[in-house]
Amino acid sequence: MTEYVLAVVLGLLVALGTFLVLRRDVVRVVWGVTILSQSANVYLVTMGGVSVGGGIPIVGATTDPATVTDPLVQALVLTAIVIGFGTTAFALVLTYRVYEEHGTVDLAELGRGDSGPDPTGEAPRGMLEETAPEEPAPDEGVATDD
Amino acid sequence: MTEVVVAPVLVGLVTAIVCLAVRRWPRLGRAVSLVGAVGYLLAVAALVRAVAGDPDGVLVYALGGWPAPFGIVLVADALSAVFLALSAVVSLAAVVYANRFVDGAGQRLSYHPLYHMMLVGVTGAFLTGDIFNLFVWFEVMLLSSYVLVVFYSGPEHTRAALQYTILNLVASAVMLLAIGGLYATLGTLNMADMARRLAAPQQYGVEPAVVLGLGGLLLAVFALKAGLVPFQFWVPDAYRAAPAPVTAVLAGVVKKVGVYAVIRVYFTVLGGGAVADPLLGDGAFLAYFGPLLLAMAAGSILLGGVGALGQDDLSGLLSYSSIGQVGFIILPLGVGALVPAVRELAIVAAVVYSINHGLAKGLLFLVAGAVQASTETLEFDRLGGLTGSEPLLSGAFFVGGLALVGIPPLTGFFGKLLVFDVGSAALGPAPTLGAFALALALGGAILTIAYVSLAWSRGFWGATGPAVGRARAEPRFVAVAAVLALAVVAFGVGFEPVYAASTDAARAALDSSGYVEAVLGGGGA
Repeated sequence: MTEYVLAVVLGLLVALGTFLVLRRDVVRVVWGVTILSQSANVYLVTMGGVSVGGGIPIVGATTDPATVTDPLVQALVLTAIVIGFGTTAFALVLTYRVYEEHGTVDLAELGRGDSGPDPTGEAPRGMLEETAPEEPAPDEGVATDD
Repeated sequence: MTEVVVAPVLVGLVTAIVCLAVRRWPRLGRAVSLVGAVGYLLAVAALVRAVAGDPDGVLVYALGGWPAPFGIVLVADALSAVFLALSAVVSLAAVVYANRFVDGAGQRLSYHPLYHMMLVGVTGAFLTGDIFNLFVWFEVMLLSSYVLVVFYSGPEHTRAALQYTILNLVASAVMLLAIGGLYATLGTLNMADMARRLAAPQQYGVEPAVVLGLGGLLLAVFALKAGLVPFQFWVPDAYRAAPAPVTAVLAGVVKKVGVYAVIRVYFTVLGGGAVADPLLGDGAFLAYFGPLLLAMAAGSILLGGVGALGQDDLSGLLSYSSIGQVGFIILPLGVGALVPAVRELAIVAAVVYSINHGLAKGLLFLVAGAVQASTETLEFDRLGGLTGSEPLLSGAFFVGGLALVGIPPLTGFFGKLLVFDVGSAALGPAPTLGAFALALALGGAILTIAYVSLAWSRGFWGATGPAVGRARAEPRFVAVAAVLALAVVAFGVGFEPVYAASTDAARAALDSSGYVEAVLGGGGA
């Protein structure tokens, strides 16, 4: 029974994540990616075998080795959660930075490229001199903190 | 003795941490970064020597002393060694270059720690013998590269980084799904153990068809890392946005992680697998992956070549060229997957081409960065006549361009030659396939000649452009480019050792049972 519930939940999570990734709003896209990676985590846990009454993987605590829940996937998920935490934080900061630079988080407007300077134009690339790395947002005038 | 396997990872990690600690003192930070890169080169050299001196050619280091398949192992064989050597050379050149190229604010803003962390991720990915650990190293590499792509954080940089980040985050989720599925099916994460179980599916109760499907899912992830069509969208923008030395490493080394993963996972680990009721060929996994690899290679070669011709700036042209060149690396792999007789030759071709592309494309992106720094533009309309004002820099570009085209005696010649050789060797056992591969390689070679001449004639030759002639390129940039150009020539003239190393790498990649034995040995359960 647990397996079926988890399968349905996983399906819904992946569907929701995919739906959000396809939105135009960058923030929703980030949430979508987060939900996708969380559903991958849930999937990983289910791969370890979920059964009601499954034993804990400690020597002497379980009677039947066949019913033991696999602890390895939980260690994997722990790693994946930590990585996901970092990437989500970065993606959100990046979203904010995109908003500062372009004044919008609408992907259609970002894709048209009408919100920022000319993409092939003067980029602070060959930075031999000390150029200020940050510029104020085009129409917000918000000063960026360093 | 096997501690040498973990040495490159440790050197990179220590360098990254020390760079982070001393980032208040930029001069010291630059020195630490440089020393770290030299140390990395030495560690890799020691590892290469150790692998060459080992009777089996496979060195295994069990992290934390936990034996495989229970713990995570780092495995260094000839294939890892070749790719590590490539990354050590390119990354050292990029560090020397970056110390001058990235401005003071940028260096204080943790350029060096990020750069070395990226290198650590690359190194770990080349060395690991555990599929989940491969995911972790990918993430280490990617997380640093996200920040390096957005480094200048202007409008187009943030946009490029957003694209790059989101695509790779989705790919990470997909990779996690594939790995979870593989674990549930095969009951192990250790690559050698996976190969062993796959070779005897009944004994271990493995369902090969499921593994095949999950392997296909993984292929999408690796193709995204390698920037193959249809997963190439991020390449041009990200390469334009990143600082030149980072782009050189992204194109020269980080892409090769995808190539390495394709060779390692599909030829060494999953190569022995076969499904019982075949739809394609004899049911071997490679008969299924072969057409996919071929299709991606064909798409990349054509789209990369045509795309490069349509660019009106140098870095755009080089980025598209990079898509096409990775297609050239994957093309022999696709042929080799389908025709067992040419499999070894195919991997040799892919490895030699990877070495050539790593050096030549690294060189070209560094030249582009030097041009950008002195003329403040890379648009062909404003460039032209650089041969007059920058003869040495132009000469380095010329060598890199010729290496892409494949003119003897440069490494690129041997890369192209081997790709054609794979095609013609396949003509016997599989005439249609061989002809297709030859036609594709020929078409791709013509496109390469076309776009390299375009870049040369519009950027470097001809009348002096409006942006050219005002400022001289930094001597250091020219020197680094010249050294890499010399390396391209030297590896081509003294091709014997490169060929021998690549042959060893191909044998190691195909010697699945040797790999399994070395990793699991007597200790394997």
